[in-house]
Amino acid sequence: MKPFWIYYQKEMLEASRTYKWIWVPAVFLLLGIMQPVSTYYLPEILTMSGEVPPEAAALFTIPSADSVMASTLSQFSTIGLLVLVLAGMNTVAGERATGTAELVLTRTVSTLPMMGAKWAAMMTLMLVSFALGLAGAAYYTHQLIGPLEWGAVASGGLLYAVWLAWIVTLVLPLGAVLRGPAAAFISLGTAAALSLLSGLLPSRFQWSPGRLSSMAAEWMLGAGAGAWAPVIAALLIMLLSIIAAAGLLRRSPLSPQS
Amino acid sequence: MEINWGLIWPILALQAILAVTGLVSLFKAEPANIRGPRWMWVLIILLGNILGSIAYFAAGRRET
Repeated sequence: MKPFWIYYQKEMLEASRTYKWIWVPAVFLLLGIMQPVSTYYLPEILTMSGEVPPEAAALFTIPSADSVMASTLSQFSTIGLLVLVLAGMNTVAGERATGTAELVLTRTVSTLPMMGAKWAAMMTLMLVSFALGLAGAAYYTHQLIGPLEWGAVASGGLLYAVWLAWIVTLVLPLGAVLRGPAAAFISLGTAAALSLLSGLLPSRFQWSPGRLSSMAAEWMLGAGAGAWAPVIAALLIMLLSIIAAAGLLRRSPLSPQS
Repeated sequence: MEINWGLIWPILALQAILAVTGLVSLFKAEPANIRGPRWMWVLIILLGNILGSIAYFAAGRRET
């Protein structure tokens, strides 16, 4: 376990030196707060924009508290996911550029603790940022729009965290063979494709981890169905990704890429 | 219409934190580690709201 902790501390230090610990949580908190506030002020915003007559704006009804929470999740799915993947894309690819990979790979130590530590550091950043964003969204929704079912928010949030986690984890094996931006693009593309497929053919893709984001939104609305198969699939993908990333880093050439 | 500033200021404060962090990082970095001219990123961070700062943190620096 000792090498793991050393790598973990190194990753956390690197993340704070590159300001990731400031900007990623800030973006999530901002996204989480803006959704309920802009929903609350939407009638005024519509009136002030001048395009909509005030009578029509008055017809707009403020959606229920849990549907505001569900739409906050879709904010996290676009900008939030993009931010997490962009922040994580250079954790492996960057090691080659800076020469750290040479230092580690020329020794006969396993790359698994290194990958495990990278993964754990990414997860720490992701969970803290997402929890902050969700808490901000829940607080503002509760104050502005109406009381929330805290159990539904917590379970929906937990399911959603699994969805974020497996996509962010995909960056590790992809980053071991590709440049950072390509790894980011492919992992986001995989997430989009899987969630589209499971939306189009729901009966065929019962187990697909691409369903997790829409299931999390349903859980927030208090209409959750069992989610064991997609969660297990997502956990398996994460485990395989970490192992594959450790193996691929050993095999791939050492020449600086990114 | 009455604007409740108690609701708005956390949003403005977070935007400010993002922009200030971006600018601090931009001015502490060596010119060789910044992609493109520095004044361009200053404009992007100041005028681009959240997305401007995200763009800078994601693409503005070489992490070496």
